[in-house]
Amino acid sequence: MKEGNGKKSVHEVMGTEFSRRDFLRATAVGAAGLAVGSLPFAPFTYGAEQPIRIGMIQENTVGATAYGYWLTKAARAAVAKLNAEGGIAGRKVELVEYDTKVNPAWASSMFKKLILEDKVDFTMGSVHSGVQMAVFPLAEQYKMPYIGGGAMAAGLTGKDAIAYYTRIHTHARMQAAAGWKWGFDNLGKNWTFLVADYAWGHSLAEEFGSRIKAAGGKTQTILAPQNTSDFVPYLQKVDPATKVLFTAFLGAPALGVMRQTVELGLHKRLQRYTVICCTDGVGQETVGKESAGAHYLSYYPRYASQVPKELHAFDKAYRKAIGMTDDAKDASDPKNTATVSHMWTMWTTPYMIKLAVEKSGWKDSKKNADFMKAFNTLKVKAGPWAPQGDLVMRENDHQGFHDHYLEEVQPNLSLKVIARVPKEKLMYDAPVDLRSKL
Amino acid sequence: MASNLAVAVLNGIVWGLIMALIALGLNLIFGLLHIINMAHGALYMLGAVFSWYVIELTGNYWLALVAAPLGVGLIGLALERGLLRTIEDQPLVTIICTFGIMLVLQQLVLTYFGGTARRIALPIPGRFPLFDLQYPVMRIVIAAISVSVMGGLWIFLNRTRYGLWIRAVVQDREMAVALGIPVHKVYMWTFVLGSVLAAFSGVLAAPIVSVDFMMGREILIMAFIIVIVGGMGSLWGSVVTAVVISLIHGVGSIFVVPSTATVFSLGFMILVLLVRPQGLFGE
Repeated sequence: MKEGNGKKSVHEVMGTEFSRRDFLRATAVGAAGLAVGSLPFAPFTYGAEQPIRIGMIQENTVGATAYGYWLTKAARAAVAKLNAEGGIAGRKVELVEYDTKVNPAWASSMFKKLILEDKVDFTMGSVHSGVQMAVFPLAEQYKMPYIGGGAMAAGLTGKDAIAYYTRIHTHARMQAAAGWKWGFDNLGKNWTFLVADYAWGHSLAEEFGSRIKAAGGKTQTILAPQNTSDFVPYLQKVDPATKVLFTAFLGAPALGVMRQTVELGLHKRLQRYTVICCTDGVGQETVGKESAGAHYLSYYPRYASQVPKELHAFDKAYRKAIGMTDDAKDASDPKNTATVSHMWTMWTTPYMIKLAVEKSGWKDSKKNADFMKAFNTLKVKAGPWAPQGDLVMRENDHQGFHDHYLEEVQPNLSLKVIARVPKEKLMYDAPVDLRSKL
Repeated sequence: MASNLAVAVLNGIVWGLIMALIALGLNLIFGLLHIINMAHGALYMLGAVFSWYVIELTGNYWLALVAAPLGVGLIGLALERGLLRTIEDQPLVTIICTFGIMLVLQQLVLTYFGGTARRIALPIPGRFPLFDLQYPVMRIVIAAISVSVMGGLWIFLNRTRYGLWIRAVVQDREMAVALGIPVHKVYMWTFVLGSVLAAFSGVLAAPIVSVDFMMGREILIMAFIIVIVGGMGSLWGSVVTAVVISLIHGVGSIFVVPSTATVFSLGFMILVLLVRPQGLFGE
């Protein structure tokens, strides 16, 4: 058959006559073959319920980007694992992600987009206390469960707490409970806090400082803007009688204060102590020799070799799933160091959502309150989903408790765990009771 | 008290000289091209980032001090030829354009360099005693290098033919054209020079602060303050103002919380602008 323009038809080119019926038959057989072939490998089939959508906000640009990178990586790996294991209550899990730009107003608009346009079922993420606070009114208004991921201001599960927010990890008050006594007994009784001049820095100085003073020690607090480049004007105000310099900054200023402390020779007469938040995601080779002898309070040992023996197997599988080496580097980029102490939150959270959905019989947003109640009474045992160890939620203030670690920077710059603080020692009285608010 | 005052004064001068270099580049570009270069902080950051790569490759800070500014200078050349020349004499458009350049450079660095701050080891690690405290030798070296570069810039502007051309174009562009001065070439090399100065400051500051993709943001605000207070177009004004503002902040920090001392610097700016709206040395 010749076509009108004189060109050969498909049939002539192929040398066969191929009718519409042949085409339909072949297509049907092919499709059936494909469907049958893939049956054993597809956990979700046609006609299954709608996927469960988890909305996630993270700091991917502008600032705290190492956190954004690693927490996202952990969340994606966790969702992939969940789906491979059959999803949540037989439903596939989807992750919808937005960048906060470390901008509370922007993050708030993205959070609203997640709720109204993307129609997510649960939300999680962000290491920034200001961002989390900014989305609180939306979580309350839409009764949207929101599980934080790394923000450390104590007030989030304290004076500023809301019913639809929960936090599975540590914060300034818990860190103080974990770290003050060891520092007081081993480093000195006269402390200076040089901390970032915002909620997180204030929280740390207040929580550690009040305990030091109550135990008979002396404290001095110096506040500096988070974006400080030159710390000399601040460091020269450190009381000469100070024995412990506690610093708390994020990103470049965290490195700056450490190196400038050494530049001024202060490290020779005082001990340096901080929370790992300051250098999580920063390789020790980057922090540099100025950090030798410093002490960090951490929430997950950075190196696999320092993880407690009973958690080794879980830690190994977790590192492999995320693509993190034993020395906390990106498996595909040895210069990229993981935010080990924070990223496990985004690994464990999707699994806890699964547990809470199954426990509460959650099907849709009508049972969000039941979901929250179920989530906040979970007791997660150490395992593949909880490589950090046992994790216990407290229903009153929606706060989780887990073990902490004290790590010391060795002369070769490696981090060595010198003490483990069990979660039972970190329990403090719940500052709020949210049980009647759901 | 004496040690605190000594450190405050010394440190104020050192930071003032670093800031002066940054502000000089910004002012040079504004004075001649009338471009309010919002990407200047990003060029400063780029200098520090390039130097980190050079040091990673060679281990030589002093080589980085030369190579990184030259690399950024090439980028400045491309920006002037490719973008800014096409929107010449449109101040508002250039502000938006340079703001866009800043965002692009920041995000490129974030993509390839990463979001984690990096450290450059002090090339001269020693300290010397200063009353009860110690002070790093490297900061003194940085101050000396800054002064040398400023001296070189003064000679370039006042003792060379190219410098004469630049001054001529600033004074009267039409007359300069009439006299056969290649104005576009002058524009291009001035923008390159401004970029090189920004990058050079970035390399100088890198061993003191840490290198990260946002390090130019705060510096840019302070550089603008210095240029405005010193007088837009006045290079000498930028140098004096940078040192004075840093000293006010440093010495003020002895008596009040350092964050509050920033208010003194800003108060000084307001006072100057009330008395001399054109800036200390502006015309």
